[in-house]
Amino acid sequence: MQQLANLDGDSRVQAKAIEVSRLSHVYAGIHGEVLALEDISLQVESGKFTVIVGPSGCGKTSLLMMMAGLRSQSSGELLCHGAPMPQPDPNRVGVVFQEASLFPWLTAAQNVEFPLSLRADPKAARRQRALQMLSLVGLDGFADRYPHELSGGMKQRVSIARGLVQDPQVLLMDEPFAALDEQTRMTMGHELLRIWATTSKTVVFITHSLTEAVYLADEVLVMSARPGRIIDRIAIDLPRPRTYEMMASDKFGGLRERIWQQIRSQH
Amino acid sequence: MASARAALLFALLAAWEFLPRSGLMNPELLPPLSEVLTTLWKLLQRSNVHAAIGVTMAEVAVAFLIAIPLGTLLGVLIAEKPYLADIFKPLLFYVFSIPKSVFLPMFILVFGINFAQKVAYAAFTTTFVVIMSAAACVESVKTEYIEVARSCGASRTQLILRVYVPSMLPMLLETIRISMIFNFTAVMIAEMYASRTGIGHLIANWGENFQMPQLFAGIVLLSVIAIFFNESVRWLEERCSNWRT
Repeated sequence: MQQLANLDGDSRVQAKAIEVSRLSHVYAGIHGEVLALEDISLQVESGKFTVIVGPSGCGKTSLLMMMAGLRSQSSGELLCHGAPMPQPDPNRVGVVFQEASLFPWLTAAQNVEFPLSLRADPKAARRQRALQMLSLVGLDGFADRYPHELSGGMKQRVSIARGLVQDPQVLLMDEPFAALDEQTRMTMGHELLRIWATTSKTVVFITHSLTEAVYLADEVLVMSARPGRIIDRIAIDLPRPRTYEMMASDKFGGLRERIWQQIRSQH
Repeated sequence: MASARAALLFALLAAWEFLPRSGLMNPELLPPLSEVLTTLWKLLQRSNVHAAIGVTMAEVAVAFLIAIPLGTLLGVLIAEKPYLADIFKPLLFYVFSIPKSVFLPMFILVFGINFAQKVAYAAFTTTFVVIMSAAACVESVKTEYIEVARSCGASRTQLILRVYVPSMLPMLLETIRISMIFNFTAVMIAEMYASRTGIGHLIANWGENFQMPQLFAGIVLLSVIAIFFNESVRWLEERCSNWRT
């Protein structure tokens, strides 16, 4: 099945978008040193949708921030398309944060333009690119609205547009839909898959929702409680495009149950 | 709403005019508004009043121009350097809580009764307010915004100009507004306590000599200046924070 799904790309070796090997992270806490991440090794294939789940405080956000070049690890190696990430590089990696990360003093279009404006791109080209991105995420006609005039779901669409505006190969998403209500959350997940299918980015996505994990992912990585380790990798071989009806299937339920058992074993 | 506001103002002004005139209030203590305004008009023709206004305004401006940059610098340092904050914050809080007027005699001993003494005392008072507010301004910038900007590849300068400044702007203007109230108050106290010129000095003298129309004229003059500054900054504040909910 997996082979058949990748027919067009199977002639060459799958490129690795992200390679993490033997990564550990220690930070200084109030009561001495804390081992936050322990001996993490993982690989994300180019163009794949990978979801990381794990108990609160397991270090999954830290791991994602390291992939973004926003924090550095204590030891081990982290490569993005073969090169390390000593600092953020928006041309390689875009980041979508948890809710409320839009700048409230900028309009939707200006928020999307923000990364481009830092490079002093020509104003007209910037604007056009931002409108294009807003259109991609389904926000035609909302360019001049301020964040406080948008709903939670719309704000996250703007965040996704901002993450994609520099056309990075990798999109990192840190619980982007956590603050949304269940219904909006499902719609946004579906929308994200549509955007992913049109842009063919590599996505690494963090969530607490197991249903969301199974629904979105090619592969789910399960992390342990602190110190964070990868305790299971589960290939989600449900066909694409994913549909809401699949959630009711035995297969979906079985995959979800397997992840749940792994997480539960941590308590 | 607006008409109710106007009605309240009108009622107060009318009461000021007619309560003393009807004898319900002692006109020796509260001269009618019209008399106060006539006195104010006459005072504004006098050169010693011009000089007093000039001196007071100069003291207020110079003290402000010292206190704002100094306080901002110290406030930002405290907000950005946890090590410095640990050392200085408790002490600053202690001194902040003391009524600064108790130090006024010391300023007179050091500087004498002159321009420098007024400026030094007002700048000293105001700097504490600015330090506290500036630190709060910096701390009000959400870490999410900083991470977002960094992930977009922002340099340190871009981080300051494109994230810190716009994010803090409404609160910064508020700091300026509140600081000016403290600053103006400090200059007035210093002038009324011991001085040879300035509006505060004139007001204190008129009060001591029971020259009530002059006293109230001075109060009206000072109020107009203070309200004008305050409202100008508030107007700016509103223009710069239309993105706020």
